[in-house]
Amino acid sequence: MAAVATATATQAAPAHRVPNRPNLVSVGTIVWLASELMFFAALFAVYFTLRSVNGDEVFKANAGHLNVPLSAVNTIILVSSSFPCQFGVFAAERHQVSRTGSILNFRRYGMREWYAWAFVLGAVFIALQVYEYSSLVKDGHPISENAWTSAFYLATGFHGLHVTGGLFAFLMVLGRTYKARRFSHDQEVAAIVVSYYWHFVDVVWIGLFSVIYLIK
Amino acid sequence: MKLTARMFLIIAVFFFLDVPLYWWLSHDPTGTAALTMAFGLCGMIYFYLAFTVRRIGPGPEDRDDAEPHEGAGEQGFFSPHSWWPFVLAAGGAAMFTGIAVGFWMCYFAAPFLAYGVYGLVFEYYRGENKHY
Repeated sequence: MAAVATATATQAAPAHRVPNRPNLVSVGTIVWLASELMFFAALFAVYFTLRSVNGDEVFKANAGHLNVPLSAVNTIILVSSSFPCQFGVFAAERHQVSRTGSILNFRRYGMREWYAWAFVLGAVFIALQVYEYSSLVKDGHPISENAWTSAFYLATGFHGLHVTGGLFAFLMVLGRTYKARRFSHDQEVAAIVVSYYWHFVDVVWIGLFSVIYLIK
Repeated sequence: MKLTARMFLIIAVFFFLDVPLYWWLSHDPTGTAALTMAFGLCGMIYFYLAFTVRRIGPGPEDRDDAEPHEGAGEQGFFSPHSWWPFVLAAGGAAMFTGIAVGFWMCYFAAPFLAYGVYGLVFEYYRGENKHY
């Protein structure tokens, strides 16, 4: 029974070959990401509201606890992870799952290698963020200290949870390539929408970093 | 889809003009942040739709002489008779109830949530439905 595909489960022709209709998975992902933007809008609003209520000086003094160089390096790491992610999409679009050359030959990388790179960079970002949190807590600034710490941990923490979710999504996309006998259109679409999500999370971080770490 | 893109562009422009006006009238950081991001919300969807319509061309909804049947056909793939969304939603509901009510619930909910995600993502990659 296992080898028999039922009619309901087969996917018809790839959606991009159907004329004049975008793929519904990517439309849904974009609309969902737009709603995610409003979720982060609420967090930005929390930050600005608490700032206007408590006064700029209180927030500036608290932002002095931040290790800005560390976070700047972390920002570069996260932003740079978008590049292997996009190269992975290009590989997925030409249906190249794995590398055809040596592991040092970037030009012949497939989707797996690029996504593994993006995963590693994202994981380093999370590790450094956990380190940042633990140093802040060790210095006596837990989330319950004041309004600034609440806003800081909530905003960056929810972003960190999103990055963690993206890491799991990378694993799912990679896991599918190992489970399947061939690279399906289904996997290509999943890889592309995960890249949308990853780029989105990246852009949100640039916004958070500018507001919390740079403007203070 | 051209029309859909234009609708989102109009709303995006509306929010874009709203932001400075609202800030000038109220000096309210909360609403200003929300309006700025609402501009981003519409702008993002507009950008995606405009980019996609350039790639795949205008659809029947953009033509005055189009017939309803031109929009017929397969819209996408929706997994029929799948129980995984139910497992996933139940796990998620238990997880968030745990966060709100008592954290001990999360330890019991997490496996269901993880199993739901795994089941949904790999539904057609394993077991009797495997066909890739």
